[in-house]
Amino acid sequence: MISEIDVRAVLSRSVCEFHSDLVTRPTGRAVRGGIEAHLEEHPDVTMVVLDFSAVRVLDCSCADEVIAQLLLRHASGDAPRPAYFQVRGLHETHAEQIDDVLRRRGLALVAAERGGAARLLGSFTDLMRTAWERLAAHGSAAAEELASELAWSLEDARRALDELAGRRLVIRSHERYLPLPAA
Amino acid sequence: MTTLVEVPQSLDDRSFEQFAATFAAAPGGSRVLIDAHACEWASPFGLVGLLCAGQALTERGAKPLLTAPADRDVAHYWARAGFFRQAEDLFEIHGTVPRVKPPPETNVLLEVTPVRVAGDVHTIVDRIQERAAAILTAALGLEAKATVGFGMALSEACQNIVEHAGTGGWVAVHAYTWRRRLGRRVVVIAVADAGVGFRQTLEATQAAGFGDRWGDGRALEAAFIHGVSRFRDPGRGQGLRGIRRWLDRWDGKMSIRSGTARIAMVPPWDDDVVLKEGLPMFPGAQLQILVPAATPEAQ
Repeated sequence: MISEIDVRAVLSRSVCEFHSDLVTRPTGRAVRGGIEAHLEEHPDVTMVVLDFSAVRVLDCSCADEVIAQLLLRHASGDAPRPAYFQVRGLHETHAEQIDDVLRRRGLALVAAERGGAARLLGSFTDLMRTAWERLAAHGSAAAEELASELAWSLEDARRALDELAGRRLVIRSHERYLPLPAA
Repeated sequence: MTTLVEVPQSLDDRSFEQFAATFAAAPGGSRVLIDAHACEWASPFGLVGLLCAGQALTERGAKPLLTAPADRDVAHYWARAGFFRQAEDLFEIHGTVPRVKPPPETNVLLEVTPVRVAGDVHTIVDRIQERAAAILTAALGLEAKATVGFGMALSEACQNIVEHAGTGGWVAVHAYTWRRRLGRRVVVIAVADAGVGFRQTLEATQAAGFGDRWGDGRALEAAFIHGVSRFRDPGRGQGLRGIRRWLDRWDGKMSIRSGTARIAMVPPWDDDVVLKEGLPMFPGAQLQILVPAATPEAQ
C-alpha cells in the first residue's frame, strides 16, 4: 500500500501549526518522529511518498534529520519493516540540500521537483543512474533485456539492477525490475 | 581604572580589526568604556560584534560602559536596528538613546535579534522570509529561487550559535548600497556570539591530528573548507558547505572570524584574503554573509 505524507502537515502537528519551514535539527527529529509514528499506525504501508510541496525553506540540518536519518534507519534494519521512500514537490534548492546530505552518507532516493520529472538524488554509480533512467522511461526490464538494450555485459546490468533494488530505488519481482510507481 | 576602547568612525567587518585590537589590549581587571560617540556608521556585523564585546566583558565581571553615537541620525539608526534593546542588558549606556516606534527602518530586514535555542531560529526564518524575498528579487534583481536558499543560509548560520557556541548570540540582517567597495546594493546577514569559538569547539576531535599547527586558523579551515564538525557523524558539518554552495551561485561572500583568525570565501569582485591569522584575540565567532545585487548584465 502507498501512503502519501504531507511533510508540512507533519511539521504542523509535530512542532507548530504555523510553521512552513523545515529548519533546525530538533525540528527535523520531530518531523521524522511524526513520519515514523504514521508508519507504525499503518503497518500495511510499504511505499511512502513524502510531499514537500507546501514546505518553504529546507535547511541542510533538517534535510539530514528527516530524509537521511529515515533512510539510514530503514537501510540498517532498525525500522520495523522495509519500506520504499520517494519525495516529491521539491523546490530546486530543497533538492540540492537533500542531494548533498544523501551523498555525504552514501544514500540515494527517487525525487521529483515541482513540475519536474523524477530523478535520483544522492550517491550512485553511472551504471545505476543509466539503469534507473531506462526503467523510469520504459518500464520494467530483466537484466538480460537491459544488457542487450544498453550494450552492457550481463554482469554489469545485473549488478546495477541489484544495487538499485537493494537500496530500494526499484522493485525486484522475480527476475524483473520495476520502477517505483510515479509519485 | 577605566580603559577606553574606541569604536571606529565606520564600523564594518574590516574596521572591526581596529576595534578588536584595542579591545584585546584592555587590561583584564579594568572597567572598559566602549566609546561609540564619534561613530558615523555601523554595519550589522559591527553592531552584533559590539554586543559580543559587551557580553564578554560582562562575563568577566564588570559591566562595561558604552557611549551611544552622538549623531542623532546614527543613534536613531542603531535604535531602529534594535541594537540598544539588546545592549541595555550588557552595557551601562551613556548618551542619548532614542526611543523609536514601528514602522522599522526599511533597510533593516531583521533587527538585532537574540539566538539562544533552536526555536529562535524558526522564529527568525519565519519573520524574515517574506521581506527577504521581496528585497532579493525586487531590489537585488535575483531570481525568485534565491529566496529559498536565503532562508537556508540564515538558518544554518544561526544554528552554529545554538549548536556550538555554548552561549547565546545575535543575528541582524540589513540591506543597503555598498558604494565604496562594490557600488551595488547588498543584503548582509551578520551572526555573532562571544562563545567558545571554532578552535575550542573542534579541539577534542581535531587538535591531535594537527599537533603544533593547531590553532584558530586550522579550526576555521577544517570547519569552513572541509566541513568538519565536533560530531563524528558524517551527516554533521554540512551547514557551512550549504551556505557556501548557495552563495557561490549568487556571487556572494562569506567570512568567519573566530579567536585570532578569519577565513573568507572571496568572490571575484572582492580583494579580501582567504585566511588571515595572527589577528587580535576576540571571543567567540562572528560570521558575515553578503549577497550582492545582480549585475545589469546578469539581469
